[in-house]
Amino acid sequence: MQEHIALTIDGARIHAVKGASVLDTAMEYGICIPHLCHYPGLSDIGVCRLCIVENIVGGKSKVTTSCTLTVAEGMVVRTDTEKIRRLRRNIAELLVAKAPNSRAIQDIAVRCGVTNVRYPFQNDKCVLCGRCVRVCGEMWQAHALGFIGRGKDRRVGFPFDRKPDYCKTCNTCIDICPMTITPCIGPMKKGEERLCGGCEGQLTMTKNFTDSCVWCKLGEGFQCTRHVQMAGRP
Amino acid sequence: MGAKLKTFADLAAVRASAQARKTPATTVTMCCGTGCQASSSPRVAEALKSELASKGLVDSVAVRLTGCHGFCEQGPIMVIDPANILYCHVKPEDVPEIVGKTIRAGEVVERLLYTDPVSGKKITREGDIPFYRAQDRTLLGQNRWIDPSNIEDYIAIGGYSAAVKVLSGMSPEAIIEEIRKSGLRGRGGGGYPTGRKWEQCRAAGGDEKFVICNADEGDPGAYMDRSVLEGNPHAILEGMLIGSYAMGANQGYVYVRKEYPLAVKNTRKAIEQAREWGLLGENILGSGHSFDVEVARGAGAFVCGESTALMHSLEGKVGEPRPKDVHTVQDGLWHKPSCLNNVETWANVPLIINHGAAWFAAKGSNGSTGTKIFALTGRVKNTGLVEVSMGTPLRRIVYDIGGGAYDGVAIKAVQTGGPSGGCLPAAKFDLPVDFDTLAEAGSMVGSGGMVVMDEHTCMVDVAKYFLTFLQDESCGKCVPCKLGLERMLEILTDITEGRGRPEQIELLEDLGDTMAQACLCALGKTAPNPVLSTLHYFRDEYEAHINHKACPAGVCRALIRYAIDPSVCKGCGACLKACPHKAIRGRSKEPHTVDDTVCSRCGICKDVCNFDAISVC
Repeated sequence: MQEHIALTIDGARIHAVKGASVLDTAMEYGICIPHLCHYPGLSDIGVCRLCIVENIVGGKSKVTTSCTLTVAEGMVVRTDTEKIRRLRRNIAELLVAKAPNSRAIQDIAVRCGVTNVRYPFQNDKCVLCGRCVRVCGEMWQAHALGFIGRGKDRRVGFPFDRKPDYCKTCNTCIDICPMTITPCIGPMKKGEERLCGGCEGQLTMTKNFTDSCVWCKLGEGFQCTRHVQMAGRP
Repeated sequence: MGAKLKTFADLAAVRASAQARKTPATTVTMCCGTGCQASSSPRVAEALKSELASKGLVDSVAVRLTGCHGFCEQGPIMVIDPANILYCHVKPEDVPEIVGKTIRAGEVVERLLYTDPVSGKKITREGDIPFYRAQDRTLLGQNRWIDPSNIEDYIAIGGYSAAVKVLSGMSPEAIIEEIRKSGLRGRGGGGYPTGRKWEQCRAAGGDEKFVICNADEGDPGAYMDRSVLEGNPHAILEGMLIGSYAMGANQGYVYVRKEYPLAVKNTRKAIEQAREWGLLGENILGSGHSFDVEVARGAGAFVCGESTALMHSLEGKVGEPRPKDVHTVQDGLWHKPSCLNNVETWANVPLIINHGAAWFAAKGSNGSTGTKIFALTGRVKNTGLVEVSMGTPLRRIVYDIGGGAYDGVAIKAVQTGGPSGGCLPAAKFDLPVDFDTLAEAGSMVGSGGMVVMDEHTCMVDVAKYFLTFLQDESCGKCVPCKLGLERMLEILTDITEGRGRPEQIELLEDLGDTMAQACLCALGKTAPNPVLSTLHYFRDEYEAHINHKACPAGVCRALIRYAIDPSVCKGCGACLKACPHKAIRGRSKEPHTVDDTVCSRCGICKDVCNFDAISVC
């Protein structure tokens, strides 16, 4: 039998399934926490750092990723404080400057309130969220993809950079990759990158973004509650 | 070696016989730590042994090859007891003279004595050297009396008596209480109270637990863990044995970098000996407690010094940190409760048990107790390992022990805590060095690196150097650390190359704060420290780089140029010949000039100029 415990997320008393993560619990209750590396059914490694929340323990707030934080009785979590919004915005800014050609990342940046990118765009193709590596290893048990190198040389690839026999060519890695959907305006060339914000831009390109949802491309894949509700509308 | 010890009385008997062993009249102590080995101390030791043999002095002179004494820049170091004469920079050729004069005739070889760079005087006795005298060498001082390959040396100075004390009658709770009362805090950098960690590990359920010694010391310029592990491995084993008994663990690991071959060798030898003597293994000294230790070698990743990354590496996985929402004392190595402590932390444990918590707590300042070893390097007269009570003012370390500025150029700052520590300006030198004060000042004790910098050091360049190191050593797993460091370095490169913009200072601070709060592990969280602390204390240097496109210290190549003073230049041609880029023009005996368009700002001309005619502007 499922056991439940009570915790508080953003002031709301919530009954969560014991053992669930704070991120899953919040999403289930319609509290959207932006996230990128988390994918339902895969292990959480807490690398994109977008789903950070404040976990308040004994009056002290601790910033931690909600995907790796397991719910506990009496836990008090804040997902949308001024501090968290600022940190999340800065992280999203780093991501979108690295990979502006992903609709998912552009959406997340908008959702997190990025209005101006202070770094030169790099137009890279991978942000190392590790979804492909985990889906390949954990879901398909193929282990055909992995991280290679350390630090600035870290990248995703096949063992010894050769496609192995045990790659089942299932293409799940491609389906799940946040880079595969380009922004609506199409791929941006080097030197022409910009913060897109075209999608539902009017809703979100304002200072007050707290309650806005861009119905993001990523949410579709995540079974984001709002996405499911809106899609289900006649 | 003796038979396996089965009872506490056996050990006491061995100790008594080791202490009563007839020692020859003269003992020559030769430092054979890695530092002195690099300056060929093994060859000196070899020469000494053969010289003693040829002169028939083998029975009357004992030679002890020890671990590091901490004064590596003077190596190889030789101390002759009982006269306590210290010779430095000893070469194999000096050995016959030392044997002939000092050992046989009791005379002092003047030229081998240490010269105090502050007073310029020769100092005969080891105990009179200011570098040593101003320290409290509780831990490091033991190295001097121990041949790390001989367990009897350690037993003779009271080794394993703390283990006997706990195994023969202290309850685990009492041990933890003693450690807690002593106020010992983790020496690896975090400063987490050791007693609390042990308590949590003991309280964590489960049938199997591990104790781990973190000897993956990777900070540039820091080598205190290596010296303790090389010179006194049994102290760590004893500390771990006590910890294992207190927490209920039966297996320990010493995780040491592959780059420390001597530490690996000495630790392995120590473990072997301890097993032979029955101080590790099943039913230690008849107490019923079993404990064994294995050495695991790290492959040289800085990030593996982080506890969770270290445990991943021990498990045979890629050394990457994981989120610590559940602490390693509950879910550590192979998902079992694991207690990881630094080398120095473990080495302090037997001392606390032997001398009592009050003795330990009496040293140090509020909140940080005991002594700490620092690796003092940079622009000071004396460099080496320095052990002082916690709470000693920075000024005392830099000026009294370090001897002050190396060549008269004023000291500007001290970088403490390794690459992820911070830079403290000279105005803050009265701060006591303890965990909380340094953290408040924007730096940290860290593992204990201390780099002294003078006016010829550019703080922006220093920040850039440490960031480059951290970027190389980051695992690259989490976004703020990987992308954040990349961007930070990009901005600093802009600044040092004259492309800086005023708004980038604010951006650096904003990004630094984000990394400090949102990164996955402690490496990422502390990575912006070099930038944030230099921005805090040396903001004017950043502003000079950005607003005036000038490097006040004359380091950043894009912002400086070399000029020859025509009134001083004699036209000797030394610079012209030395310049690798043929950037210097001029006829013989006429003042030369530097062609800026060709000059690469390497500074070779300035170094070779005989008349000091070349300056940076």
